[in-house]
Amino acid sequence: MSMSNAVVRTTELKQLDFEQIKKKQRTKSFLKGMMFLLPSIVLFSIFLFYPLLRTIYLSFFLTDAKGVTTVFVGFDNFINMFSSPIFIQSIQSTFLFVLYTVPVTIIISLFLAVIANEKLKGIGFFRTIYSSTMGISVAAASVFWLYLFHPTIGMLNVILGTLGFENIGWLTDPTWALIAVSVTTIWMNIGFTFLILLGGLQSIDTYLYESADIDGAGYFYKLRRITIPMLSPTLFFVVTVTIINAFQTFGQIDILTQGGPQNTTNLIVYSIYREAFVNYQFGSASAQAVVLFIIILLMTLLQFKFGERKVHYQ
Amino acid sequence: MKKLLALLMLGLVLFIAACSSEGEASEDDSSAEANGSSEETSESSEADGEKQTVTFWHSMGGAGQEALEAIVDSYNQSQGAVQVNAEYQGTYDEALTKFNAVAGTDSAPTMIQTFEIGTMSMINSGNIVPIQEFVDADGYDMSGLEENIVSYYSLDDTFYSMPFNSSTPVMYYNKDAFEAAGLDPEAPPETFEEVEEASTKIVESNPDMKGFALQAYGWLYEQLLANQGALLLNNNNGRTDTSTEIGWTEEEGKSIFTWVENMVNDGTFANYGTNGDNMMAGFLAGDVSMFLQSSASSRDVIDNAPFEVGIGFLPHPEEKERAGVVIGGASLWMIDGKPEAEEQAAWDFMKYLQTPEVQAEWHVGTGYFAINPAAYEEQTVKDAYEEMPQLQVTVDQLQATKPSYATQGGLMDMIPEGRKIMETALETVYNGGDLDEAYNTAVDQFNGAIEQANAARGE
Repeated sequence: MSMSNAVVRTTELKQLDFEQIKKKQRTKSFLKGMMFLLPSIVLFSIFLFYPLLRTIYLSFFLTDAKGVTTVFVGFDNFINMFSSPIFIQSIQSTFLFVLYTVPVTIIISLFLAVIANEKLKGIGFFRTIYSSTMGISVAAASVFWLYLFHPTIGMLNVILGTLGFENIGWLTDPTWALIAVSVTTIWMNIGFTFLILLGGLQSIDTYLYESADIDGAGYFYKLRRITIPMLSPTLFFVVTVTIINAFQTFGQIDILTQGGPQNTTNLIVYSIYREAFVNYQFGSASAQAVVLFIIILLMTLLQFKFGERKVHYQ
Repeated sequence: MKKLLALLMLGLVLFIAACSSEGEASEDDSSAEANGSSEETSESSEADGEKQTVTFWHSMGGAGQEALEAIVDSYNQSQGAVQVNAEYQGTYDEALTKFNAVAGTDSAPTMIQTFEIGTMSMINSGNIVPIQEFVDADGYDMSGLEENIVSYYSLDDTFYSMPFNSSTPVMYYNKDAFEAAGLDPEAPPETFEEVEEASTKIVESNPDMKGFALQAYGWLYEQLLANQGALLLNNNNGRTDTSTEIGWTEEEGKSIFTWVENMVNDGTFANYGTNGDNMMAGFLAGDVSMFLQSSASSRDVIDNAPFEVGIGFLPHPEEKERAGVVIGGASLWMIDGKPEAEEQAAWDFMKYLQTPEVQAEWHVGTGYFAINPAAYEEQTVKDAYEEMPQLQVTVDQLQATKPSYATQGGLMDMIPEGRKIMETALETVYNGGDLDEAYNTAVDQFNGAIEQANAARGE
């Protein structure tokens, strides 16, 4: 009796002890974890979370030129925005711009990456050339294209002229301006996407190709069945990043068109800039920023939901 | 154990070091403060050799920046008490944004150059000292300055800022092309109708050259309105009371659009969109024979053109009398909350800028007006006119302007937004869009912007 009692007591004690130690350990590891996270939490709070909350707050107010809130207007900024044809057009232009730039950039870069992945003599030279636009700043590239697009002395119109075509007002004609800006953007983005895709290609194991060779697979069969599936994680990353970048385009717009002609290239980030720093309407600018945030968030979620299914991780 | 001890020691040393440096820092602060106050007193008595620094934010790029820096250098060398540091802060818009961010703090400049349409937002900001206070205290005589310029920058008889770089729009034309087309190169077209006729003749004589270019630029639209005697905003351009809607009539506003549409239909109009640099490059390359632009570019255009450049007055509709132009450009603002000595030093620099010698150099170097008409009597200006008589046209146009509310220009903080709205409407017409629709949309949006701006002020 006393023996069994003692045994029960000790097990009880042990269990209690165990629970306590476990709890202690958990708090300890939690604190440790927090310590490691603290720098990033502090940085994120200061530079991301606070501005985000502040933007949402500002979007419910009208402000003076210094950004100090003056009148609370509730959802008026949002209502005005969605009833304004300028903002609707700005959204349309942004989606069109994404549609023009993202697929073309990726197809061209993928093509270049595949041909630059061949092991040939002097391939390093071509790889450098193909990725060289990465080293050119947005401003420099835009100024360079600005001269190419010049209506009368620009190279593009000079070429059209010698071929006997009418001159095109690349940056002044509403039907062409968005295309002109897209061409510039595609040219600028190729370097980065090319480099990432080439890196992805080079990390594919060669034994896959070797066994395919033994099975007698052709070049395009290998491309379709080995290269693309093995590259899919990289492609997924590139697509996501390019889409987000396209939504946030600013520099080339500011230099090439300033949102004109007739607001056809007034992409959403440029529209936010104008609203805040030219018109000094920080309230409605914040409202637009919130909408942009929601759009990008939705796009990224959709991509992860549908795009990721097709991604093959090794 | 030893390790732990060493760590402890290290920690302690660091702690002590941190404490002591903190202590030092606070001591430094107090000594700096002491220095500062002693500096102030010494400077006001001008006994010490220490110079009073004045920070001057400006927005002059390119040739304007060179000319301005030369003037600042010569001022710094001309006397020993004040050191002016001129800092380029980007375009007027950018500088104003930066200023709004630092206004009221120690990082704010002593004086800032702001464009004419920023006048109202500067006054509303409450961070400035009206120049009138210095004028009164100093007994400075403003009557020596150009009347039309003075009238733009004073509101309710108070002088808010010191005019500095002022310009008006003029019409540049290619004299060689005029001659080739059988037009009189000494008599530029003066009315909308004459411009249309001249354009047709130019294109007839040379199919590779367009007749006329109008940059889609809201400022030029405002000027073309003012030249008809039309108001931009109601309540006398916002000068007698806060504006509540546009000030021009449909006839006045539409006349500019119709004029452009006629030329677009005739195929004599060159469309450079909103890009002024492209338009100037096109003119210099002989692709267009006439264009409107600020007189501040005149030195640039004359120097770079491979042909004879003529400068004429801004055109107006035939049935309207020429009313004149609005002063464009920028003025200098004194920032509130600076030490008395610093503000006095900045005021001294402002007075220096208005002297005839400096103004003469500025006018000839850039094409901006001399704020002080006495500058036109200076030898530098006379020599330059000998060489480039076109420069004089810009001055004549200003002096021919009749002072009225229309030519004083609009005062409101939403004007930058309004400009963008008119630019979009102009572009629509350039690209063959429907005139009435473009015009009505623009007017609606313009009125909406005024309403929004009034609401945001919370009054």
